[in-house]
Amino acid sequence: MRGSSFGQAVSTVVRGGDFLFVCGLTAVDPQSGERVRGTTASETRKILINLKELLEAAGSSLDKVVKVNVLLHSMLEAPNMNEVYARFFSDPPPARTVCGAHLPDGAKVIIECTALA
Amino acid sequence: MRDVIAAPLSGLDLRQHYGHHQSPAIRAGGLIFCSGMLPVDPETGERRHGTLTSEAHVIFGNLKLLLESAGSSLDRLVQVHALIYDSIEYDVLNRVYRQYVANGPPARTVWAAQIEAGFKVELDVIAAA
Amino acid sequence: MTEKLPRSVIEPKNPRLNVSRGANLPHVPGIRVGDYIFLSGMGPIDPRTGERNHGPIAEQIRTTLSNMQHMLESAGSSLERIVRVHVVLADISHMAEMDCVYREFFPVDPPARTAWSMQLRFGNGCEIECVALAN
Repeated sequence: MRGSSFGQAVSTVVRGGDFLFVCGLTAVDPQSGERVRGTTASETRKILINLKELLEAAGSSLDKVVKVNVLLHSMLEAPNMNEVYARFFSDPPPARTVCGAHLPDGAKVIIECTALA
Repeated sequence: MRDVIAAPLSGLDLRQHYGHHQSPAIRAGGLIFCSGMLPVDPETGERRHGTLTSEAHVIFGNLKLLLESAGSSLDRLVQVHALIYDSIEYDVLNRVYRQYVANGPPARTVWAAQIEAGFKVELDVIAAA
Repeated sequence: MTEKLPRSVIEPKNPRLNVSRGANLPHVPGIRVGDYIFLSGMGPIDPRTGERNHGPIAEQIRTTLSNMQHMLESAGSSLERIVRVHVVLADISHMAEMDCVYREFFPVDPPARTAWSMQLRFGNGCEIECVALAN
């Protein structure tokens, strides 16, 4: 089972075995697919709002996320990302790894995750 | 079914010590997904900055504690993302890394990434339960 | 009672693609556990010679994904069974060219993908890793 694709080369959500694999999400308007540029905090918020919708549409939820990888354009922004992130994942939160890298298209943050289907 | 693996020693509870909104590990579907493991003292949570080698030893010690508390072990690792601050230390990483995975190493990808708090290495792992 | 999934090593039929063994590195080409196959990151190795292919990025992507196909097929899986891909590029400006070649390998129902740029070793232009279903 594959979720809806934006840009044909990537499926947003893929079901495999017990898990849903969600692609790295950047901050986009879910209607238009247009990139939404902002601060790391605002992009994090946009991504997680979209992630919630995606998971729920696939029969899962933020509560079923087991692991998250967060890529930041700069690790200086980790506390800003974390503050927003903490509002979306209730206790107990998933496992997570955060690191800094060069992100495509000027994105400040990319969030990818694995969730129970 | 999603089980939280709690920190076996309080130093490994990064949420308590650093406000990182994450659980140490989550078990689901027969796998254990660990949060990126850092070189922190497992008792106190204090950062143990050092050489890449010394930091890697602390990390592997912490992973051993965490996985064994969950009924797994370093021998059951399946995938590792080895984050290093600079790929120039690749050989150094390998020298220490191989000491801990002698009984059948897992799949691995090395990421030269910016790691928090100026640490030189971090290990992001998945193990079989 | 927690299920204990069996864990086994995956190796490519073509020994020139077995970089871990060839270079005595502390990893294996892939691990099968339960329903899943986790592959180590793969770079652009020429399958005929075992040498690194440092041509244009499009060629490097094509080589790497072809090798990934071989690796999965050696284990009884396939590109169609991949659920997640990580593409790391040495140069972020190569994203579009990468994408162009990439979509040839995943024409229908592509996997989830995250792509970004980091410093890579050995002058490689790309490193690609995946998780796939075993059957």
